[in-house]
Amino acid sequence: MSDIRTESALIALRGVSKLYHRGDQVVKALDGIDLSLPERGMAAIVGPSGSGKSSLLHLIGAMDRPSEGEVLVAGQLLNTLPESGLTAFRRNTVGFVFQSFNLIPNLSAIENIILPMEFAGVAAEQRKRRAAALLEQVNLSARSTHRPRELSGGEQQRVAIARALANNPRLILADEPTGNLDSRTGQVIYDLLKQIAVTRTVVVVTHAELLAAMADRVLHIRDGQLTADEASSTQNEGAARTVKVQTEANR
Amino acid sequence: MTMLRIGVRNLWRSKLRLALVAALIGAPFYLLLVMQSIGDAVERQTETLKQNVNNTLQLRARGSMGHVNMVGNEDILPQDALAKVKGVEHVAKVEPYLLAMAPTEGHNFAMVVGVDPRDTRRLESHGEAGNPKILFGRDLSDEDRGKRIAIVGQGVARWAGIKPEEVGRATLTLDLKRTHPVIFALDHPPVALTVVGIYASGYVFGDMQIFMPIDAFREAYGIREGISWLYVRADSAENLPAVERQLRGMLGAVADIISPTTVAEFQSTATAAVQRLAGSGIVLSAVLMVVVVFFMMLLVVRERAWEIGTLKAIGASDSGIVASFLTEAVLLCAIGALAGAALFGLWGGPLAQLVFGLGVSPFLPPHYSTLAATLSLAPKFGTTTLAVLVAACVFAALGGSAWGIRQIVRLSPLEAIRHE
Repeated sequence: MSDIRTESALIALRGVSKLYHRGDQVVKALDGIDLSLPERGMAAIVGPSGSGKSSLLHLIGAMDRPSEGEVLVAGQLLNTLPESGLTAFRRNTVGFVFQSFNLIPNLSAIENIILPMEFAGVAAEQRKRRAAALLEQVNLSARSTHRPRELSGGEQQRVAIARALANNPRLILADEPTGNLDSRTGQVIYDLLKQIAVTRTVVVVTHAELLAAMADRVLHIRDGQLTADEASSTQNEGAARTVKVQTEANR
Repeated sequence: MTMLRIGVRNLWRSKLRLALVAALIGAPFYLLLVMQSIGDAVERQTETLKQNVNNTLQLRARGSMGHVNMVGNEDILPQDALAKVKGVEHVAKVEPYLLAMAPTEGHNFAMVVGVDPRDTRRLESHGEAGNPKILFGRDLSDEDRGKRIAIVGQGVARWAGIKPEEVGRATLTLDLKRTHPVIFALDHPPVALTVVGIYASGYVFGDMQIFMPIDAFREAYGIREGISWLYVRADSAENLPAVERQLRGMLGAVADIISPTTVAEFQSTATAAVQRLAGSGIVLSAVLMVVVVFFMMLLVVRERAWEIGTLKAIGASDSGIVASFLTEAVLLCAIGALAGAALFGLWGGPLAQLVFGLGVSPFLPPHYSTLAATLSLAPKFGTTTLAVLVAACVFAALGGSAWGIRQIVRLSPLEAIRHE
């Protein structure tokens, strides 16, 4: 097997496992995942509850460390980075969109978007300009001074997406971004993520078939193992191909 | 700086939350100030009691009243007792007296007291009462040393027929050869004293005394050496028992030592008990404040674990997050403490009175039975007191906040978001 550091893909995982300890019990959330995702485009991770979708996303986003294996994202080997390196990675390379939006409640919409730029040391004028532009991109310019509690769920999620884009990351990770939204609002979010995926990589964990169908690639996961990696039918109509993924367990 | 700004901004995230937390921090702070004020007031009261308490010992020749012409009571203390007593540790003042009796009408008599003009004019049988009020004329002064002059009680003046307007000119002559059932004659010529003042003591026998300079007394009565009474004042009520012990060891064979026993009792019971009680109240309030503030800040941090996780997820550094939460903790605490102090300034007095009446007063010794009513519980505190209490409060807040945040910030962003 070649050195993962020679991978040209934006995201590359080799033999990645994640174990959780619950009391005396050890739960294997991910089991020997191998995966490569290129720059740009949208990938959807689908699978039943508890299959390991979110765990995979969190490892890619340096929100957690793998128990085994290697995770290479944007040329950075996350499993070897110190805590400060992971912080810098999360700040500059990745933008995270949560199911529950996770906006800071005492900050206005624009302040929430400015926050990651403050952490990155972007100049005050520049961050205000960029935050305003991002709010416009998500169609919320009129709501810039509103606090999260004054926004609807869909609006909050659009602010969260704008916040994820604040430091112009190469990778956007979204964990069930429409899980707390009605279908119509969800559609708005899908469109927004799809639009973002034109210029950068978007990885989405979802139960929503519609969103998965919009993805360029759909990764099926079950019991912590990738069971299928397919091009979305809407993207490759008539030529849908399903690739059975060889996992560590299957080998 | 960014995170410090966020910490300051977080303070105002919810006015209700701010008010609630400030109130919860302010309440024990307020109580601590109340206890502090009670402690201060009790301390002041105790000091006053100590000052008013009799911490003076009287020494007389063993088995004698020490009156130089009283039948069976003419023995006096040796002269060197004065120097010995002055050398005892914690002795603040020593006052020597010479006393004689002078027959008046019938079986009555007056008391002649030789006194150093700088010392207290002590009244026979009421040694603790001194310096009676001068009604006419003047008191004895340093210039009167060696002179045959006197101040007399108004009873003596009446018996001798001395009128107020004659003070300064009138003469009182003491016949030392005149006897009485309890007074024997002294073979000395009569003593003519110029009366320079008339005093009032407030009771009959007190007004039957004649105070004259002690050196003039020695010359008139022929007492070249010796002391009738030695009054010894200890530097504090606390040290009185120790002084008494030393004096008994040194002069017990030649002197009777009359001690105000209530002093020792006062010291061992009232003072110590009240100070212990007030001190315990302050310590308990301080512990309560520290515990409340600590756990309050711990809760404030822990309920926002998801926020810490989110901040980590969007790129905040651990040190930045710690700085923001600690800033918020310090400000919250300072606001709470100031609210408590303001509350104390407004309504501290009545509450302190109430707390004292219900919580402290019932446990006090009888000496303090009226203390609750008379104690001045002004809602005041010094800058130093406030600074010390605010510092303690802030340290508790920092401790609670740091403890909580330490547990969360070391988690991964994901674990922090899911932390409960």
